[in-house]
Amino acid sequence: MPADEFRTKALTWLTEHARPFAGESADGNFAPSLKESKAFQKSLWEAGLAGITWPKEYGGQGLGEDEVIAFNEVASDFLLPTGPFVIGLGMPGPTILELGTEEQKKRHIPPMLSGDEIWCQLFSEPNGGSDVASLQTSAVRTEMGWLINGQKVWTSGAQFSDFGAILVRTDPTVPRHSGITMFIVDMHHPGVTVRPLVVATGDAPFNEVYFDDVEVPLDAVIGEVNQGWAAAVVMLRNERVTIGAGGRSRSNPLGYDALREIAADIGTADDTGVRRRLANLYARETAVAAFGRVLHEGALAGNPIGARGSAAKLAGAELGLWASDAAEDIVGQDIALLTGKSAKAARMILRAPGSATAGGSNEIQRNIVAERVLGLPKDPGAADRKTPFNQLKLSK
Amino acid sequence: MTLIDNPDQQALAESVRKLVAARSPLTKVREVALSDQSYDADVWRLVCELGVPGLAIPEQYGGAGGTWADLFIVLRELGAGLVQTPLFASSVLAGGALLASDDEELKSTWLPRLADGSTIGALAVSEENDATWGSQPSTVTAADGKVSGTKVAVLNGAEADLLIVQASDGLYLVQTQQSGVTIAGDEVLDLTRSIATVRFDGAEGHRLAGTADVVLDAVIDLANVALAAEQSGAIKSCIDITAAYANMRYSFGLPIGAYQGVKHKLADDYTEWSLVDASVRVASEALTSGASTASAAAAAARVLASPAYTRAAKNMMLLHGGIGFTWEHDAHLFYRNAVTGKVLLGGPLFQQDRLADKLGV
Repeated sequence: MPADEFRTKALTWLTEHARPFAGESADGNFAPSLKESKAFQKSLWEAGLAGITWPKEYGGQGLGEDEVIAFNEVASDFLLPTGPFVIGLGMPGPTILELGTEEQKKRHIPPMLSGDEIWCQLFSEPNGGSDVASLQTSAVRTEMGWLINGQKVWTSGAQFSDFGAILVRTDPTVPRHSGITMFIVDMHHPGVTVRPLVVATGDAPFNEVYFDDVEVPLDAVIGEVNQGWAAAVVMLRNERVTIGAGGRSRSNPLGYDALREIAADIGTADDTGVRRRLANLYARETAVAAFGRVLHEGALAGNPIGARGSAAKLAGAELGLWASDAAEDIVGQDIALLTGKSAKAARMILRAPGSATAGGSNEIQRNIVAERVLGLPKDPGAADRKTPFNQLKLSK
Repeated sequence: MTLIDNPDQQALAESVRKLVAARSPLTKVREVALSDQSYDADVWRLVCELGVPGLAIPEQYGGAGGTWADLFIVLRELGAGLVQTPLFASSVLAGGALLASDDEELKSTWLPRLADGSTIGALAVSEENDATWGSQPSTVTAADGKVSGTKVAVLNGAEADLLIVQASDGLYLVQTQQSGVTIAGDEVLDLTRSIATVRFDGAEGHRLAGTADVVLDAVIDLANVALAAEQSGAIKSCIDITAAYANMRYSFGLPIGAYQGVKHKLADDYTEWSLVDASVRVASEALTSGASTASAAAAAARVLASPAYTRAAKNMMLLHGGIGFTWEHDAHLFYRNAVTGKVLLGGPLFQQDRLADKLGV
């Protein structure tokens, strides 16, 4: 189906079923329940608008990147309650499609697309941060499968997830990247405890997740035992592209459209400095979206995204931080208030540093770009790559 | 349409890249920069043999009938090598102005000569003490087709056979080989660009049919993308040259590229370049398809590219340490080019204001 036809189909469906984005004031109370989100995802999928590039045999649409771009453009005019599915469809989903067994794909991909089952990603640990490979959550082999013990943190959506993709250490006697395995874990297992993690904004968008003798079967391995780092790289690559190279969104409170509207409302739009700030914001925002397009189109033409995904992630994070500064200038003194039209921007500037850290800090992304894109030497801090994990110094 | 270059464009870029490597490496660029010539005639002849000056000129005017995107791809390659040619002034500025005008007679006469490179054109817009560019009031006047006044910052003015001159009542085509035109090459920071001050004293001119504001507006879009494309190529060269050095130069027992102070600067330059390159592609696409966002996209590309280039060139000097500040090193050639490119054809504030205007802010 040509992309234009798909665009028309998407627009028609969304006009009928989704809530139009109509400026700052209209979406102030937009807080869909999980039930509403699930129902929406199901109908989106039934309409043939979910999993656009995913294979048909697992419930996808089997279409191309042009259709994804068409959908995203059309969808930017609507408020979609699809937040709970962003992680699953952005990270574990593509990773299972790439590395999973036929049984895993058949079992997990269709309910993921239809919104029946929600997924989270369990990588980060309290002492790890961006150094994902330092993880200490362990799994030991049992007669039936594996037994997981340990703690994860910064887990989005764990409180309502049905499954998680978890990274654990399965062999501590080998160097740190070599003894890691990725499993599919049932979040409803009695040994799993989820605790909300309150962040700087006062919200609890993340969780701490504790694993206490959580059993997983042998066929829960994604990829191969002790080859989890390779699977993690695949997932992190998908994550960076998901986080970094998003399209322009009218609903982003620190986006060009929203800040322009605020400037018009509070009467600073004629100010030369504000005009220039907005112009720069537009230039950066459109460039970040375009960079995402260049990577995707290049990948389709046979040039895999690879470590350039880190550049996209970095660009997106820096845009958020840059836009925070712009918002401070554009909004002026009202940025100190959590009331009125600029409240969403104020909340968002508080959130921006956290968003920049999610998926690996900017400094880590810079190392990745420098080493894997520009070919610079390994960081001296990576000297422990050959030391067995259980001989490494992990804290002072 | 895709943002990725099509196979023809990739082949074209490859041809130009080979030409640059073989005939105009940075040693040659330096040699030309220090000579009396503003460009190497042999290199320009080879560029013309590839049909480059006529790429975006329609076939009916002797061109290849390609797209502006084709030309921008060549400019990116030439920019990467700091190759001196009158291509920008002649094909983008003068050619773009003629094409955007309604003057069939002047188009039929001059475009074929610009297309084959036998005539060099340039555009005279800027005036003393004015950092804006385009359709501002002009102190140059024309009475009965006799043009008088002074224009500054005329790119390749000293090499031009014809000038498109913005006067108070419209655009004029003025041939330079006449007594009423005095051209003085300026002493300039950028050793790879030739910039001139041109005085007109009752020079014979032909008024271009069409509205000057409309023509200049179109030229600004082209110029913005063209310059951003050149700068995209140059930024990548700054990064590549510096990354190679960072792998080779040891300090405190390690290659300097192993230190995050070096790594992070280069990673930032690379990420910035990725955005510049993507924005050039979007603007090329928009101009080629005639999208309503083309002017904004063109200005946006320039708003990003010019400062990113200055930063990358400055980092190139800094990350090379002392050697980067020597005359023998190429870093200053890029830095000079970057600083000049930022203020050329309307400075950064003009570009930001233009973008805000085009967005309707």
